[in-house]
Amino acid sequence: MRTLLNVTVLFLASAFGLALGWLILDLPVAAVRLPEQVTAQLEMSGVVHPVTAVLLNFRGYDTLLEIAVLLLALLGILALPRHVSDHQHRPSSANPVLQTLTRVLAPLMLLVAGYVLWAGAHRPGGAFQAGAVLAGAGVLLHLAGLLPAWATPGRTLRAGLAVGLLVFIAVAVALMAQGTLLQYPLSWAGALILMIEASLTLSLGLILAGLYLVLTDSGVQK
Amino acid sequence: MFDPMPWLILSPLIWATLAFVHGPGRGGRLAVACLILQLSLAAILAQQVIAGGVRMYAVGGWGAPLGIDLMADGLSTVMLLLTQTIVLPLAFYARAYFVGHANSLRYFWPLTGYLLAAMNALFLSSDVFNIYVTLELLGLAAVGLVALVGGAGPITAAMRYLLATLLGSSAYLLGVALLYGVYGSVSLVALKPLIAADAPATVSLAAALMLLGLMLKTALFPFHFWLPPAHGGAPAPVSALLSALVIKASFYLILRLWFDLFAPIVSITAAQLLGALGAGAILWGSFLALRQTHLKMLVAYSTVAQVGYLFLLFPLATGMSAEVAESAWQGGVLQVVAHGLAKAAMFAAAGAMITATGRDEISGIAGVATRIPLTLFAFALAGVTIMGLPPSGGFAAKWLLLGAALASEQWWWIVVMVVGGLLSAAYVFKVLRQAFLPVEETASFQLLPRMLEWPILLLALASLVLGLVGIEVLSLLGAA
Repeated sequence: MRTLLNVTVLFLASAFGLALGWLILDLPVAAVRLPEQVTAQLEMSGVVHPVTAVLLNFRGYDTLLEIAVLLLALLGILALPRHVSDHQHRPSSANPVLQTLTRVLAPLMLLVAGYVLWAGAHRPGGAFQAGAVLAGAGVLLHLAGLLPAWATPGRTLRAGLAVGLLVFIAVAVALMAQGTLLQYPLSWAGALILMIEASLTLSLGLILAGLYLVLTDSGVQK
Repeated sequence: MFDPMPWLILSPLIWATLAFVHGPGRGGRLAVACLILQLSLAAILAQQVIAGGVRMYAVGGWGAPLGIDLMADGLSTVMLLLTQTIVLPLAFYARAYFVGHANSLRYFWPLTGYLLAAMNALFLSSDVFNIYVTLELLGLAAVGLVALVGGAGPITAAMRYLLATLLGSSAYLLGVALLYGVYGSVSLVALKPLIAADAPATVSLAAALMLLGLMLKTALFPFHFWLPPAHGGAPAPVSALLSALVIKASFYLILRLWFDLFAPIVSITAAQLLGALGAGAILWGSFLALRQTHLKMLVAYSTVAQVGYLFLLFPLATGMSAEVAESAWQGGVLQVVAHGLAKAAMFAAAGAMITATGRDEISGIAGVATRIPLTLFAFALAGVTIMGLPPSGGFAAKWLLLGAALASEQWWWIVVMVVGGLLSAAYVFKVLRQAFLPVEETASFQLLPRMLEWPILLLALASLVLGLVGIEVLSLLGAA
């Protein structure tokens, strides 16, 4: 019975995959040419790189909600019932070589994150990538025994986790004063986008690192 | 002119984030204040839609297809009003409820805020990709709320819910990707004429994927497996939110896609299939509700059954004369509103009874009728709507659906609705009968705070009065 079910599922999945592949190879030419519109309006966006222009300006509202999704993912974990151990848990392997290497690497990663953030205005990069580098630094510091796990984030850490979203919302609300949600005035667009991206980098770094550092000492009730 | 649309999305985002920074257990008072504001915003929007028809709002000033447009028409305004109307009393209820259940409060308020932001954004969106983002926000917030209680049961239920909702969103996203591949746009307004002009087979596959994903999220039979443990195991205010509103959000999208975007390509066969699944949900869900021994599980299975009525709308409104389709459409939307109000009241009442008796089995609620008559009265009133008796909103909804079935000579749906009505009467009376039994000597009763009971009564009364003022809702629905 179980094998029959497996075979049926396998058959249906492959049929679906084949149909999908066949249909995708046969796609017509799209009626709406968005890339051309993006290029045409790029000058009005305040940044030079099309991906950043789409993410933070043309479809900035999507990004605003996506930041909330990321924060919510961590919030979902924090909301789980857990028993927190009294002692601050650190990984036992405090390998001196690893620690020394990490002490050298972590500041460099900070520098890389800053560069990737800055580069986002004119080439591939931006807040998401920079945040990922920051998060990597956080995880590395924890693994080397230099950063304790975040069993229950205090208010400062929570503020750091939320600051990206809060700044984004604050800009959106401030811009409402001159009419429309997230409509940047051309002269300020670049500066506002950089400000949003900088705070997003910090929050995204903390959130992504948090997904690891909160769970690592978890004690989530089984 | 003041435009309430962006504020309906920003307000819950703001109070949710502030509540999170404030810390576990905090944010209730701010939430109530902002919810009162949001209810007024939704009312202003309703007036604007009645006066001026469909309202569009170009976020960032770009306009579709480059930017994202918000849109408020009759249907989305009804959903927005319903959402704010249900959440406000539930917020008062939750504040009272968590006094006695402090250990499962934690991040309830931020999660609820994001849940509400997701729903408001979803109802206002006219962009299929933006809708996907709101679906993710909605799903994650709902899963987080289900897991609040902790313990093996609810965590397993939350995990299963997470997988189901992620699978649903992924199917939806795949459909969006195919649509973008074919037409190069994700804006509903831009896509509609393109689909009407020419729809290759890829579009049919995209439509099937999007609708299937949303059916999974709406818990339509046979995709209902995740719903009873998730809704039955969550804290009572959460169960009420999920059953009354969250599944309606994905149903709203099915309506939008079926009657708007994919209207040129849907077939009567597909509509009959959806109706058949709805009929299966009504019969199977009611039957299982009748067999439950735990109060909240009974109410959860009742949701599975009531979702079925919503899907009878499709065979009654697809490919029929304009008059029949209009009646079915109105009946379906009225059922969304009536069930939302009644089920919120029913879950809240169940939570109050369980709090008072300290037991969650149906056999444990004997004597409730004499100790907390107000709550039981509210439960019974909500039951009137669930059963579809006059003068409730549930009656008006089912009457319109019956009328459409009669006029289009689809008598088989009438049989299903009548049998479903009898079964739901049976499970509602199963609870009421037990509540009127004399109290056991050993039973201990906990007094309930007034703020726990009155919001329930308010919701139940609203579901009843809806039958009398349903015409107002329908005029808003028809305004655009």
